[in-house]
Amino acid sequence: MLLTAAWVLGLIVVPQLRMIERAFIVDQRGDEAALVATEIERAYARVFAIDQDLLRAADGAAAPTAPSPFAPSPSSRATGAASPERTAALEAEKAEAQARIVELEAREAEIQAADRTTYALGNFTGMSRIHAWIFVSTLFYALCVTVLSFLACYPVAYAVATARRGERVALLMLGLVIPYAINELLRIFSWVMILEKQGILNGALDALGLIDMAAGEGVRFVASNGAVFVVMVYAYILFMVFPIYNTIETLDRNQIEAARDLGASAWRIHWRVVLPHAKPGIAVGAVMTFMLSAGSIAAPEIVGRGLHPDWFSQVIYRRFFESSNWNQGSAYALVLLVACVVFVLVVMKLFRVGIRDIAK
Amino acid sequence: MTAATPSTGRDWSDTVLNAYLAVFYAYLFLPLLLMVAAAFNASPTPSVTDWQGFTLDWFRRLPQDQRFIQGLWHSLIIAAGVIVIALPLGLAGALVLTRLQSRATTSLYTILVSPILTPGIVLGVTTMIFWRDTFGVEAGLFTAAVAQASFIASYCMLMFMARLQRQDRALEEAALDLGASPVLVFRRITLPFLMPTMITASFIAFLQSIENYNTTFFAIGSSWTLVTEIGSRMRFGLSPTVNAIGVLFVALTVIAAVVWVATRRRELARRAAG
Repeated sequence: MLLTAAWVLGLIVVPQLRMIERAFIVDQRGDEAALVATEIERAYARVFAIDQDLLRAADGAAAPTAPSPFAPSPSSRATGAASPERTAALEAEKAEAQARIVELEAREAEIQAADRTTYALGNFTGMSRIHAWIFVSTLFYALCVTVLSFLACYPVAYAVATARRGERVALLMLGLVIPYAINELLRIFSWVMILEKQGILNGALDALGLIDMAAGEGVRFVASNGAVFVVMVYAYILFMVFPIYNTIETLDRNQIEAARDLGASAWRIHWRVVLPHAKPGIAVGAVMTFMLSAGSIAAPEIVGRGLHPDWFSQVIYRRFFESSNWNQGSAYALVLLVACVVFVLVVMKLFRVGIRDIAK
Repeated sequence: MTAATPSTGRDWSDTVLNAYLAVFYAYLFLPLLLMVAAAFNASPTPSVTDWQGFTLDWFRRLPQDQRFIQGLWHSLIIAAGVIVIALPLGLAGALVLTRLQSRATTSLYTILVSPILTPGIVLGVTTMIFWRDTFGVEAGLFTAAVAQASFIASYCMLMFMARLQRQDRALEEAALDLGASPVLVFRRITLPFLMPTMITASFIAFLQSIENYNTTFFAIGSSWTLVTEIGSRMRFGLSPTVNAIGVLFVALTVIAAVVWVATRRRELARRAAG
C-alpha cells in the first residue's frame, strides 16, 4: 500500500510541480531573437525563390523550347514566356527582400548585444497596451458571463431541486443534461448559424420588414464582441446550473416550509435560507464559468472568424503559432492563469468556502 | 400540480417559475433544433430560413470524408491513452489523500485538484512546451493525450475519493490481521470495491477526452482530432456536413442522457426502497 502511495506521489505531484515550474522557466528564456531569426530565414528563402524565378525567366527568354534545368514543369514553361517587366519586378522584389535581410540582421545583432538578464520580466512588461486592454476586457466579459449565468440559472436550479414529482424531476434533468453533454463546439456553432450575416436572426428581421436581405442588408452580428458574449453565455451557462442544483438538493425542504410557515416572504426565504445553503455550489459554478469563458478559445475563434476584436485566448494562440514567440506566449498564458487563481481565491473568500468545497 | 397549494401567492409564483422554466428550456433547445433542421436542408450553407428541400446528402458525404474519419481515429486513440494515464493517477491520488493522515493533505489536495480550475488552454500550452523543451517531443497525439489526462486525472481522483470515503476500512484491516499481504488486500478487497467507479470514471474520462477542444487545440500540433477538425471547418466557413455531424452527436447524446437518467432514477428508487 505504501509502495503505491509513493509511486503515486512521484507520478502526480512531480509533473504538476514541473508544469507550474515550466511556466516560469520558459518565461526566462525570452528570445525575441528566435522570432527575428525565423524572419531572416524566411527572407533568405524568399530571395532564393526570386532567384529561381529570375533564372527560369532568363532561361525561358533565351531559349523558350529548351528544358529548364529547374523543375521543367508546365508552369515553369508558362513563366518562361516572361516579359522584361516581370524580370524587372522580380529584381525589385529581390532588392527589397535583401534590404529587409540587412535590416533584420542588424536587429538580431542588437538583440544579442542587449542585456540578457532582463528576460524574466521582459515578456510581461513587453505586453503592449492593446494586449493589456484585451486582457482586461476579456476578464470583464468573463465576469459578466458569470454573473448573468448565475442570475439565469439560480431559479432553474431551484425549480429542479425542489420539484416534487419524480417524472418532473427526470424530465427537467434530462432537459439540462442533453444540452450540457452536447459538444461545446456544436453549441457555439448553432449560435453562429443564428448570428451569421445570412443567418436566422437576419432572416427574422427580414421577415419583419426591418431589413432587406435581398438588397444585401443585414447586420454582421458575428463581427462584434457582443456576439461572442452571447454565445459564451449560451455555451457555459449549464456549468452554473449543476453545482447549484447539487447544493440546493441537499437542503432539507422542511427548512423552506418552516420559514414559510413563520411568515417569511419568498424573497426572504431565498435570501436567508436557500442562498446561504447553496453558497458552495454558487462558488463552484462561478469558478467554472469564469474559468471557461476567460480561457475559451473555441467561442471567439469560431464566432468571429477574425472579424471581431481579438480575445485574450486568441492573442495567446497567435503568440505561439503565428509569431512563434513562445516565451511571450507562455508569459501571457501565465498571466491568464494568475488571473484565474486570483478569481478562485476571491470567490473562496467572498463565499467563505474552502478548497474542499470548491472542487466537488 | 398535485401538491396542495396553501395560498394563492404561492400559486402565482409557481406560475412565474414555470413560465421562466419554459423560456429557459426554449433558450437551451431552440438553437440546437435549428442546427439539426439545417442538416437536412439542401441549401449549401446551413440555414433554415432558406429552405431548398429535404436531403440526406450531407450525411452521405460523411463516410467519404477522410479527415473526419482520421480525426475520429485520433480521438479514439487519445481517449484510450487518457484512460490509461488518468485512471491509475486518479486512483493513486485518491488513495494517498484518503489514507494519509497528515497536515499536508490539504495542500496536496489543492495541487491535485488545481488542473480542473486551470483554463484549458494553459494546460495545453504548458504540456506542449514541457515535452518539447525537456524531451524534444513535438506536439502531437501523445502530448494531446498527456495534456488531457492532466485534468481528467483530477476528475477521476474526485470520483475515487467519493467512493473511498464510503469504504469500510475494517475489512482491509481484518484481511491484514489474517496475514494477507498489502498487495493481496489491495487486489482482492480495494480494487473490487472500486470497480463500479472504475467503469464510470473511464466512461467520463472517455467523454471528456473526446469532447475536449481548448486543451487539445494547443497540444495537438499539426495533427487533428474529430473535434479540432470540426472546429477548423467552422472557422473557415459554415458547411452542412458539420450540421450532419452535429445531428449524430445530438442523437448519441440524447440516447446516452436518457439511459443515464433512467439508471439514476432506478438507483434512487432502489435506495429509497432498501
